[in-house]
Amino acid sequence: MIKEILKNITGKKQAIRFPGGSAVSPEDAAKIPALQEGMGKVFRRSLRIRQVDGGSCNACEWECTALTNPVYDVERFGIGFVASPRHADALLVTGPVSRQMELALRKTYLATPEPRLVIALGDCAVDGGIYKGSYAVTDGVANVIPVDCFIPGCPPSPAEIIAGVLRLLEELARRK
Amino acid sequence: MMNNEHYRELGGREFRDHCISLCRSGFTLRLMFATDERENEGCFKIYVVFSETGKDSFQIPFLKLKGDDLSYHGLTPDIPAVHWYEREIHDMFGLTPEGHPDLRRLVFHDSFPGDSYPLRKDWKISEAELREWGEGLVRKEPYHFMEVKGEGVYEIPVGPVHAGIIEPGHFRFSAVGETIFFLEPRLFYTHKGTEKLFEGFGFSEGVRLAERVSGTSSFSHGTAYCMAVERMSGTDIPEKAKAIRTLLLELERLYNHVGDIGNMCAGTGLAVGYAAGALIKEKLMQLNERVSGSRYLRGVNVIGGVTKDIFQYADDILTTLETATGDYKAFMKLLLGAISHVERLENAGQLSREIAMKLGVTGVAARASGVNDDIRKAHPHLLYDRLEFEPHTTTRGDVFARMMVRAEEAECSISMIHALLERNYGRELAAEVKDVSPHACALGYTESPRGSLFYWVKSDAEGRPLRVKLRSPSYCNWPAVPFAVHGNIVPDFPLCNKSFNLSYSGCDM
Repeated sequence: MIKEILKNITGKKQAIRFPGGSAVSPEDAAKIPALQEGMGKVFRRSLRIRQVDGGSCNACEWECTALTNPVYDVERFGIGFVASPRHADALLVTGPVSRQMELALRKTYLATPEPRLVIALGDCAVDGGIYKGSYAVTDGVANVIPVDCFIPGCPPSPAEIIAGVLRLLEELARRK
Repeated sequence: MMNNEHYRELGGREFRDHCISLCRSGFTLRLMFATDERENEGCFKIYVVFSETGKDSFQIPFLKLKGDDLSYHGLTPDIPAVHWYEREIHDMFGLTPEGHPDLRRLVFHDSFPGDSYPLRKDWKISEAELREWGEGLVRKEPYHFMEVKGEGVYEIPVGPVHAGIIEPGHFRFSAVGETIFFLEPRLFYTHKGTEKLFEGFGFSEGVRLAERVSGTSSFSHGTAYCMAVERMSGTDIPEKAKAIRTLLLELERLYNHVGDIGNMCAGTGLAVGYAAGALIKEKLMQLNERVSGSRYLRGVNVIGGVTKDIFQYADDILTTLETATGDYKAFMKLLLGAISHVERLENAGQLSREIAMKLGVTGVAARASGVNDDIRKAHPHLLYDRLEFEPHTTTRGDVFARMMVRAEEAECSISMIHALLERNYGRELAAEVKDVSPHACALGYTESPRGSLFYWVKSDAEGRPLRVKLRSPSYCNWPAVPFAVHGNIVPDFPLCNKSFNLSYSGCDM
């Protein structure tokens, strides 16, 4: 263990590459903290995300979990997942929003302090995806709470999620 | 293709006695479901599927419910493993099991209208009722949690929105001090009406939906569904397709098991283990994407075979596996050498063999509690009869045992993939699909990373889906979680839960 730590301190560091053909490179993603800084008092320097599962098949969840693995490691871009909506700047909602999750999602939205962003992640969250039209779903997050950004894909890969967040922040910076 | 499904119609009491006697003579209960066949036969039917011990054969007794009397002798008092199935049938079809000790709603929450049964063919619901269901403000059929009374007992409600990135479910702990005395999970928040949706799709479009029932078992779900439809239509798939399916099933098991072992580290706070596990999983998922175009192996299965020749990537698979195996061995060495980690796992979340048997627990959880059950051995399908392997069982039944069963199975999957890649299997990827004949039915099954997975399909008079029943392993294992966490401390719950790693979406359908 000590050897490993020493190697880490003294060794030459190399960023792990995203897989070939990814929607975004680590260099692009590195712009994220600067963008946030530009927003001044709104989000300070980091974007804190609360993930809410609105009845997804769990593939989107595992892609969000993958964002924290050593390859993507989004903390270095100033993106982090928090445990409570009260700590969050943004809600990241997956799934077609099943009717039995609708109330919970509304409550989570209201528990998030303003200004807040809502990101709908995955094809189901965009318009219900393959579950569109089922009696038990509401056909997308926008039918339940206002959405600022859509990231389609079934599921979107971790790099696509990072690209989506980057796009959203660039858009916000332009608007300002 | 040998038909191993033996259907047998039985009348009321006889049906119950027959099921009980099958269960007593050691047959394994696999699933129970109902169908609405009033249009064609003027009745509802209830099927129970049992596996014969040591023989590749399913005994499927069924019962017809005609006329206005929609109740039958419940099986739950004698076969506890069916207690969820009977509640689900009650919610979905309005068929009442007499003598069921707990007929509270299972699938639907309080604001869903009473006397409304979605899987009946003539079911209708108004827009207003749907809206009220979503708003959740009117409690139409109130659900009462079980209450534990006594000095010092207090309740901790958790969820449905949890602290981590996981699926939604509500847990109601009754704790005494830090010790969990009783846990009642309330699930089905992610209920999406999947089975009803299948009925509106054609059989071939259903594959896409089956792949989206539970993300991390996408390929297993797709395979079991395709297998059911292929068996129903009498389609024999080419050997190459069988080999590719077997290979991808094992790749799916591998990335899940490695990922699950890594995730358990998050439960004990071993950050370095968590990162190491996540890194190996990521490499395997990138391999998935390179060979199939999807990190979750979606889009490969079609009715009749597969769409992609995975064997052209044999070199990539072998090199990736070689590095992954090396990393994996170092990873396991790290975990087993971390005393603080292992001590938390040992004796935590114990599930006894007796309870596992009674509740019909399946997969890793069953094998870790000494139940030697693996669909790959019990009902050999695809190329599993040609591969040499033994189900790994241990009798400890704790979190550590579940980790070790996964570890051994992951190694076993690696050697199976090597064995599969050594041979040649013709060129044809998919067979011509025969038309589905009217009123045909069949089972499809496989061993997913979490355990046994079943689909049962039946066609109507036009050869379109009349009923698609899916039974994911998580559905069998959720009722066992409260037994495993009893007597553990509340902070160990996430660890126990991660050791089962159940899918909510697969269970809630």
